[in-house]
Amino acid sequence: MPTLPINIGSYLVNLCSALLLLTCFAIVAQRRLMACVDLFALQSVFLAVTATLVAYLTGIHHIYLAAVLTIAIKAIILPRILKKIVRQLNVQREVSMYVNIPTGLLICGGLVILAFFITQPIVHLGFLLTQDSLAIALAIVLIGFFIMVSRLKAVTQVIGFLMIENGLFLAATAAAYGMPLIVELGIFFDVLVAGLIVGIYTHQIQEAFGSVDTSRMKALKE
Amino acid sequence: MIWPIILLIATPFLIGVSGLVVRNRQALDVLHCVQAGIMVVSSMLLVDEVSVSGPVSFLYFLHADAISAWFDLVIGIVAGTGTLYAVGYLGEQYDRGHVSLKRFRQFFMLFDLYLGVMLLAVNVENLGMMWIAIEGATLSAALLIGFERSKGALEAGWKFVILSSVGIALALFGTILVYYSSEQLLGISEEALHWAKLYEVGDQLDPSVMKIAFIFILVGYGTKAGLVPMHTWLPDAHGEAPTPVSAMLSANMLTMAIYAILRFKILTDQAVGPEFTGTLLLGFGFFSVALSSIVLLLQEDFKRLLAFSSIEHIGIALIGFGLGGLGVFGGLWHLLNHALAKSAAFYGAGLILITHEHKFIARVPGLLREHPAAGVALFVAGLVLAGMPPFGLFVSEITIAVNAMNTAPSIAYGFLGVLTLAFATLLFQILRMVLGVPMETQISTVGPRCRAFSTAALAVNLGALIFLGLHVPAGLHDLIGAILPFFDAEGEYF
Amino acid sequence: MRAIDFLLIILQIFLVLGLSPLIVGVIRRVKAHLQCRHGATVLQPYSDLAKLFRKEPVISTTASWIFPATPYILFSSTLAASLLVPTIIAPMPLNFAGNIIALVYLLALGTFFLMLAGLDAGSAFGGMGSSREAIVASLTEPALILSLFAVALTAGSANISAIVYKTAILQGIVLDPPPHLMALVALFIITLAETGRVPVDNPATHLELTMIHEAMILEYSGRYLALVEWAAGMKLMIFLSLLANIFAPWGIATTLSPSALGLGLLVFVGKVVGLAVVIGVFECMFAKLRLFRVTELLGAAFVLSLLALVFFYILRV
Repeated sequence: MPTLPINIGSYLVNLCSALLLLTCFAIVAQRRLMACVDLFALQSVFLAVTATLVAYLTGIHHIYLAAVLTIAIKAIILPRILKKIVRQLNVQREVSMYVNIPTGLLICGGLVILAFFITQPIVHLGFLLTQDSLAIALAIVLIGFFIMVSRLKAVTQVIGFLMIENGLFLAATAAAYGMPLIVELGIFFDVLVAGLIVGIYTHQIQEAFGSVDTSRMKALKE
Repeated sequence: MIWPIILLIATPFLIGVSGLVVRNRQALDVLHCVQAGIMVVSSMLLVDEVSVSGPVSFLYFLHADAISAWFDLVIGIVAGTGTLYAVGYLGEQYDRGHVSLKRFRQFFMLFDLYLGVMLLAVNVENLGMMWIAIEGATLSAALLIGFERSKGALEAGWKFVILSSVGIALALFGTILVYYSSEQLLGISEEALHWAKLYEVGDQLDPSVMKIAFIFILVGYGTKAGLVPMHTWLPDAHGEAPTPVSAMLSANMLTMAIYAILRFKILTDQAVGPEFTGTLLLGFGFFSVALSSIVLLLQEDFKRLLAFSSIEHIGIALIGFGLGGLGVFGGLWHLLNHALAKSAAFYGAGLILITHEHKFIARVPGLLREHPAAGVALFVAGLVLAGMPPFGLFVSEITIAVNAMNTAPSIAYGFLGVLTLAFATLLFQILRMVLGVPMETQISTVGPRCRAFSTAALAVNLGALIFLGLHVPAGLHDLIGAILPFFDAEGEYF
Repeated sequence: MRAIDFLLIILQIFLVLGLSPLIVGVIRRVKAHLQCRHGATVLQPYSDLAKLFRKEPVISTTASWIFPATPYILFSSTLAASLLVPTIIAPMPLNFAGNIIALVYLLALGTFFLMLAGLDAGSAFGGMGSSREAIVASLTEPALILSLFAVALTAGSANISAIVYKTAILQGIVLDPPPHLMALVALFIITLAETGRVPVDNPATHLELTMIHEAMILEYSGRYLALVEWAAGMKLMIFLSLLANIFAPWGIATTLSPSALGLGLLVFVGKVVGLAVVIGVFECMFAKLRLFRVTELLGAAFVLSLLALVFFYILRV
């Protein structure tokens, strides 16, 4: 049984999920692609710490495995792939965006509030360690979604997608004590493959269009 | 008897993996013909088995109840003919030197994997694993859509990857919410995601969680099903993917996404009553039909035309499910016939693409004379898709309309209005292609092998359409009888 | 008022006046160390101040009374503000006199006069510096007030002493991490902006393209410059005390016993010097932002403090 008092533990989980949310904002405010990848890796580390805390507090052992996989896949392998792509394509920063950064930050602030309102009716139900984790997880999902639609570069869009995955994982871990092991493994596998496929695609897009600026792909319309 | 389900799911995986070692094109052709046969036959046998002696389970995760069996039938038959057609289509590309043997083998590995995970998705018991399988289908489809590596294909593929990843992520959030609610009842265990277990305790699931979860599921899987307004990837992907893949996207993947939505709809209905999901499905369905019936008229590209027609038909099926009652029968029947008809139409479109090497509707008049195989396929499939009697889509559309008239007449008027519009626009476009005087723009003719394979695929699809229009097999009748109670629906169908 | 309160006020004045040049020296020393320079000793700012006080000031012939008056106004308003911020003991003796709003506007008063003085001297750089300072100040002020309010709402008081006292007893940041963390990050960014540190301003250079604070005070010399520099040091000290005592009030004295006060003093000096080291490291890690990008950084601070507020105000009821 855990020796840490459950309320101190839940404070720590809450703190970690707040750190996850903060890194989201940092990514939204960041233009340099390399820094975005680093921030994503940092976010994944926080995620793994959260998972470890939850595993320790609940005594559900397979969450440890999920934490290890998070570190391996999301904090090491995928950032490496992304950095390799950034280096190969020689794009360092996001020059123009659909939404400028201060407005983007305000929108993200709005998304956090929205997430809280959506989850408000249901937070009292689960075996929640914390009051906020579910809302923060949803907020991370929404912010990832926002990054995907507001940025032009393929790499940042991928980071947005991976942030969505992080948010989902936080929801599964902190709010539902982790999905069943088999499901969790499958999800990790899918995320890894998705990362690889996106890598393949960015490469081919670069070859065909001479740029990874997705706003150049405008040929197909209704 | 469990071997139909095993064969149905294992065959595409095994034959797909065999592509790693088999380097001979002849052998690959034979293997895929075998696969096509096994898929068609085993899906029918599975329906027979389930309708006669109830659900089938294998190992601890495969489980086919009546709903699964129905979608197995839809996906299995079309996947079988699609495999046959792909052998012909890709073989032709290979003979013409458009694809190397390496790419040829890659294509079939991906294609088999794609079919396999779709069949897996409709047969797994665990909702989390269903998500994994659907994500697998998304990823393999992403590679298949961009297979030709042209600018258009890459753009369509990228759009698909981005949109469906977001969609599928939202669906996972919905799944997590369901789990969040169910582990209160079933404990923190794998069983808390087992559909049958959830169904047993469905009325105790928390209503507010289920409502929020269902919205996420509907938007998430709805993106994969191409519901308006999440449909923007769909016409691009259908237009730019290799034609056999377009056919599978339209006939199978959209159907699979609807399957996933239905599974959650049944659970949500138990928790909050059918009103909530019904309204949402009606809304999304109606907008899908309305938008696509207008946009159909604007299309100049026949593959995109068929794509928008898919959005329309998925919308119609959704309206059926949203209405409940006999509408559920209408929706199921609609999905089956649409899958057969739409894939046949795509097979025809692919043949035109081979001989004319362009996709403009205006430049291929007189197909019945110029290119009879493609012409007949498009003509018959077009009539079916427009909803001409006596074909199945007519039956399902009428069932849905009558059902709507009985429950909510205003919906029925709107539904019939957009349906008429869609009928006119689709038929207008199809008739522009098949009738009239040929422009003699044909560049080449289809090779004998491709002709044989595609004729076989078309014969199965069109034959099945005509057969289902004239006669309803007892097995399907019983199967629908077993499905309707899940939706709390009853009544006389047929 | 009790005699002990007088003692405490005097102690506070000496602490702030005496420690603030040291903080500046520590930051410079850390930066020098990280940049592989030898660097001056941490006591160098004291010598600088002493020397400046001995020098004769030169005043531009075009300057009005504002120019010579500003250093005194700035110095006294900053010193007054510093008396509202708890350093070594939580309920400050002067805590009846003002709250968050008084603090913010005492600081703003100094900034306002500094901007006027920059314009008053009539040099091109001064006006440029003032207009830049106006941009930064107008962006930091709402963020500063919001982030302090966010914390004030948990404590249920806008009085800084009360906030610190309550968080010290309730264990501060652990109580409700997400909003506190956001307010902390916001306040940290604001500290960098308000005290003219990298990445908003660079206090170590006089480059015409980038300087903000240095441009405004370019015309000052002698004892005027000494007062302005000292006031800048105190402002830094005020912000560091806020960061240290609002978000990590552990160790601060909550009673008047000598041992608690002694411990409070030690802990306070340790925390403030620690924060100064962090700022020094931070300045070496980041490059100065272009002026137009500063709005993005401050926008982030604003959104974070707004969120922190929302966490408390809307979602915790």
